[in-house]
Amino acid sequence: MPLSTQSQADDEQYVLVASLDNARCLSNILKAITFKDHAIFSATPNGLKVTVEDSKCLQANAFIQAEIFQEFTIREDLVGFQVNLTVLLDCLNIFGGSTVPGVSTALRMCYRGYGYPLTLFLEEGGVVTVCKINTQEPEEPIDFEFCSTNVTNKVILLSESLKEAFSELDMTSEVLQITMSPSQPYFRLSTFGNSGNAHYDYPKDSDMMELFRCTKTQTNRYKMSLLKPSTKALALSCKVSVRTDSRGFLSLQYLVRNDDGQICFVEFYCCPDEEVE
Amino acid sequence: MDCLLEGNCVKAFGKAVHALSRIGDELWLDPMVRGLALRSVNSAHSAYACFLFSPLFFQHYSLGPVSEQGSETIKCKLLMKSVLPLFRCLTSIERNVERCQISISTPSDRVIIQFFCRHGITKTHNLSFQESEALQAVFASHLCPNVLKAPARLLGDMVMHFPVSQEEITLSMTPLSVSLRNYYEGGNDHMKTMYTEMSLHLDEFDYFQVGVDSDITFCLKELRGLLSFAETHCLPVSVHFGAAGRPVCFSVEDMVLEATVVLATLIDSESTGPSQQTETLAPTTPRCAEAAVLPVGSCEANSRKHQGVPAVMELIPSSQGSPIISPPALMLLVPQTDNPNGLGEPDEACASATTTPASSTICSLLFRALSSEQDSDGCAARLPVLAYYSDGEENMEEDYTRSPSL
Repeated sequence: MPLSTQSQADDEQYVLVASLDNARCLSNILKAITFKDHAIFSATPNGLKVTVEDSKCLQANAFIQAEIFQEFTIREDLVGFQVNLTVLLDCLNIFGGSTVPGVSTALRMCYRGYGYPLTLFLEEGGVVTVCKINTQEPEEPIDFEFCSTNVTNKVILLSESLKEAFSELDMTSEVLQITMSPSQPYFRLSTFGNSGNAHYDYPKDSDMMELFRCTKTQTNRYKMSLLKPSTKALALSCKVSVRTDSRGFLSLQYLVRNDDGQICFVEFYCCPDEEVE
Repeated sequence: MDCLLEGNCVKAFGKAVHALSRIGDELWLDPMVRGLALRSVNSAHSAYACFLFSPLFFQHYSLGPVSEQGSETIKCKLLMKSVLPLFRCLTSIERNVERCQISISTPSDRVIIQFFCRHGITKTHNLSFQESEALQAVFASHLCPNVLKAPARLLGDMVMHFPVSQEEITLSMTPLSVSLRNYYEGGNDHMKTMYTEMSLHLDEFDYFQVGVDSDITFCLKELRGLLSFAETHCLPVSVHFGAAGRPVCFSVEDMVLEATVVLATLIDSESTGPSQQTETLAPTTPRCAEAAVLPVGSCEANSRKHQGVPAVMELIPSSQGSPIISPPALMLLVPQTDNPNGLGEPDEACASATTTPASSTICSLLFRALSSEQDSDGCAARLPVLAYYSDGEENMEEDYTRSPSL
């Protein structure tokens, strides 16, 4: 593979080198969080975390562990930068993103450090493209202070049961209301739109409900415009965990299996809408 | 009203909603003793559809407690864009929905549509409705000279050859054959149009009756929904029509449901101007010598090609037995008057027919009872109705055995 013929000497100048035989493992996950142009990349020896935020109320994180990459070399404890996510995705799909089986785009992502662009070497069918994307000073991602000890309600649902509900959500509703309770209706999604309201109820004993751990009845509303982008992550995932804490903050965690069967995670944190009780 | 549909019926119900959405932007829900009727009419009032589901269609059907005012059940009007999304994906309904419950809640002004799905999941939709008079068309299909009964797929297969954008087609019937061809208004660039015509021998039909040779032109788009429904349910389609200018009625039925689409047809192309003479086919009435054709378009902002196209209709006699009249008509939604004679005596009025500024007249007739005093030029009497508000459902049923209401 042409990418591997680069001299080892080159590698020493990079603080981060990450290679994938199939760039789609990265691009698919990134598409699930591309609702804003800019993304914060944080790489640690554990892997890569990509963060996108919206209006200080919503944060999406995609985690791709080091084991997913064919090569993952990092020379510092934490490497961070910010790039235009739309441009990055365009580059990852530069060969047209064909779905012909057996043909995939190989990726070698290299970063020299602060001030340097992110360099992508992409190869498909013997053709190599080099892309250099300017990086910016990484912003500090918001800490939503969401910790497991504060979680009041948690459910894990099989994504297939939620996919339909999310795709049907009444978009004329400004909010999506989530009710979680140890008693009826257990888990309910509600919308309040122009033609009326709608409720989607998932009982605790449904076969789609893998885990049901609700300690108290909570109803929270979240801006529909913030949560609607999570539909993409839902579509990719096989399971989703929904948690709310005592403040009403929402955490959605999606388990995504890539083409090779490996597991990545996408999570969304969302603040409740101001008008709630 | 409260009813419960099981699995497959939910899909059929959804298909009916799809077909009705091709007609108009609003959906009328009319629960009756003989079943639940879903109706729609287009804004130009040149197309009307009704799907009537008999109580047998449902796993459970009840009209609920009779209100103090009488045997009135609530009639609702819903926005199509509120209802259609609930039934949009029929394959997913087929896969997931086990039962569907539809009920009308008067205190909260809501229609509640609840889907009980697999895995214990429940989807509840509370839709606000507008209370409304029933929309109902009365079309005397038994009086139509021409009848065709086509096997389920035949018409669907024929119209498949026309592009989806094709607005209108012309159906011609002679004692030997039936043909369908596309219709273009004169003035279009003939070089760019593709003409399609297909003919069928009358033997292809399950049944035919050729009363008059006729060419009728009507809107295809509004019909496609019904044809698709017929195909899905393998139901033959009956077509009742007459000369150009009279409405055409397409209907399907089986043990538990009846569906009808009534479309206005273009008047014969020889006629010009708004003041036209149209043949009346009612056997018993005096002819209206000079009949006005009231343009539909003047009332509606988005009138289409049927501007100036009347749907010639017959009024079904009221229980008082006033004569049948057949003035040239446009489809109107008119509440039944307490004084049927106001509508039933066209003779003098017809003779002095003049075109009127239809807008004020039409709009004033919509959904309001006709008063016995006519307005200044008596045109109220002459305005015929295709669809009218039927107050006395029971009376209609006993007197109109020959004239099915839709």
